Amino acid sequence: MTELLQDGRDDGAVAGAAAQTEVWRIEYANRPIPRIVPHLKLRAPSIEKLLTAATVCALLAGWFFLTRYGLVNPLFLPTPAAVWSAFVTTATTGYQGSRLDQHLLASVDRVLIGWSLACVVGVPLGFLMGLNTKIKAVFDPIIEFYRPLPPLGLYTLIVLWLGIGEESKIALLFLAALPPISISATEAVAGIDKRYITAVQSLGASRRQLLHHVILPACLPGICTGMRISLGFTYSVLVAAEIVAATRGIGWMVWDAAKFLLSDVVIMGLIVLGLTGLVLDLLLRRLERVLTPWRFI
Amino acid sequence: MTAFTVKSRAGTLSGAIATILRGAARVLLPIALAATPAIGHAADEPASIKVGYVDLINAQVLAKALHLTEKSVGIPVTWVKFGSGGDLNRAVAAGAIDFGGVGNPPATIGITRGLPYEGIFVLDELGPVESLVARPGIKSIKDLKGKTIATPFGSTSHYELIAALAGAGLNPAQEKILDMDPPDAFAAWTRKDIDAAYLWEPVLGRMVASGGKILMDSGTMARRGYPTWDVGVVMKDFAAKYPGVVVKYLKAECQAIDFWHQHPQEAAGLISKELNVPLAETAKEMTGTYMIPCHEQLTAAYLGTPAHKGKFVATLIATAKFLKSQNRLPDVKEDAVYAEFINPGFLQQAVKP
Repeated sequence: MTELLQDGRDDGAVAGAAAQTEVWRIEYANRPIPRIVPHLKLRAPSIEKLLTAATVCALLAGWFFLTRYGLVNPLFLPTPAAVWSAFVTTATTGYQGSRLDQHLLASVDRVLIGWSLACVVGVPLGFLMGLNTKIKAVFDPIIEFYRPLPPLGLYTLIVLWLGIGEESKIALLFLAALPPISISATEAVAGIDKRYITAVQSLGASRRQLLHHVILPACLPGICTGMRISLGFTYSVLVAAEIVAATRGIGWMVWDAAKFLLSDVVIMGLIVLGLTGLVLDLLLRRLERVLTPWRFI
Repeated sequence: MTAFTVKSRAGTLSGAIATILRGAARVLLPIALAATPAIGHAADEPASIKVGYVDLINAQVLAKALHLTEKSVGIPVTWVKFGSGGDLNRAVAAGAIDFGGVGNPPATIGITRGLPYEGIFVLDELGPVESLVARPGIKSIKDLKGKTIATPFGSTSHYELIAALAGAGLNPAQEKILDMDPPDAFAAWTRKDIDAAYLWEPVLGRMVASGGKILMDSGTMARRGYPTWDVGVVMKDFAAKYPGVVVKYLKAECQAIDFWHQHPQEAAGLISKELNVPLAETAKEMTGTYMIPCHEQLTAAYLGTPAHKGKFVATLIATAKFLKSQNRLPDVKEDAVYAEFINPGFLQQAVKP
């Protein structure tokens, strides 16, 4: 079946490509092609990397100069040195009873539990919602209603219901993580090219084969992207989740330090949050490569 | 064809960037202008003033309820409520308010960390209005070992709780102390998530009504050397620019304090309405807070005079040292920094007949 489709396409594509090649041949007849092409190929990615590096350097340099010459109140923007020493102190002696790694572990633990639960619930739910419009009609309004609610507003109610322990924190993270996953799974299923399905059905594939060989692989990229977006979103709700009655966690540390106006700890905590978020995202990208290798050829 | 699509895409992209930049300029320019106070008109009066306050039983509630402040300053007043002094400090850091009120611990934290405000009058002196309340089974502070205790961090209550635990031989750093504003603490108390809480009225009364027993109060703690009070603050910039408004503002606060003493029943009625507390309770709770008449605030026991500052300076320094010993402040500034915070000058002008 796939061959059939490809053949059909190839006809036109081949003709088009041939015509295009003809044009190129005439156009580039008098140009030194071999030089330009490899040159561009080598340079293109490095420009972007340079830009990224330059942005980071410019930000750091700006931070350094603003604080070095006393242009801003250190209460608002402490010096890089102060932030570094806050990092060292927190990593060795700790902040309010816990070392930095303990704070980080507590937070990452909460995020991963909430997010994993959302994956376990959200992927099948989204799948079903994409396959069956009646199931979608039941769950869609619930998810669409609470999704835009500010996490802090939602949290007060969760605390009333579930108390101040880990349950309420994980519940909030779970609720934040769920919509991106279930929505992307729904969209991925609904977005499958119907021709694939009818073609496979016409070849006599069973429901199970259809699911296993067509629907699942076709959805996987969309679901993976949804999971990645979801993890980032869950991470961004972390501070809100740790505001009430936490004694440990990076989000709590940032919130507590702000109450005591320790801006060096606040900025250090935010940098640590940002970097660990980045690492988690990189790990997920790796996972994406393993699960859907065909997208990265 | 391909070239055309690329071009148009580039066109929309640069269009989008331009829109974003224009939007950013629209947002950032006013902020930049607001941050440079020298630019613009140098009027004697601002268009309005913003007063930050915390849910407390004190005479400021009367100034708000009777509109004394509006009448005195003659310009619109916006009242902004905060959960605790720690939250209010953050708002001060952001430059969000002109006037506010904080307890001695948050004031100490603010002064040490360089917040640009000064203390201009005594909002109240805290007695049993702030207390440590626990479940009936808990007989003494020592029994709190291993229990869960809630208090708003960075507040007077937090300070008293740490001092009370340390005084009973417990190590506050090893106890499970949770940061919760009074309403959250009450919800957690109802759910039996916490065993004790150090906080203030009106939530304190509700916890007692639902079976809580008082283990310690701030009046007793004051006699043990840990006094707590709330001081009214004004932003330094604001005070330098509009000294007349500050004096008028203080006149209203003094009127409210006088009203508290002269018409206790009417005051109780107003406070009960404003804070949503039953009248009978309000009257009782009002006795747990001490309102100091303005002329008395200028004596050595309180603010003192600009030449001879009062006991408040010593309390601020002692509070700073205590918070440093509890790892809640990174350092303690020299005594002069705390003395400079207390500024009785405006109050002196306000009490002049």
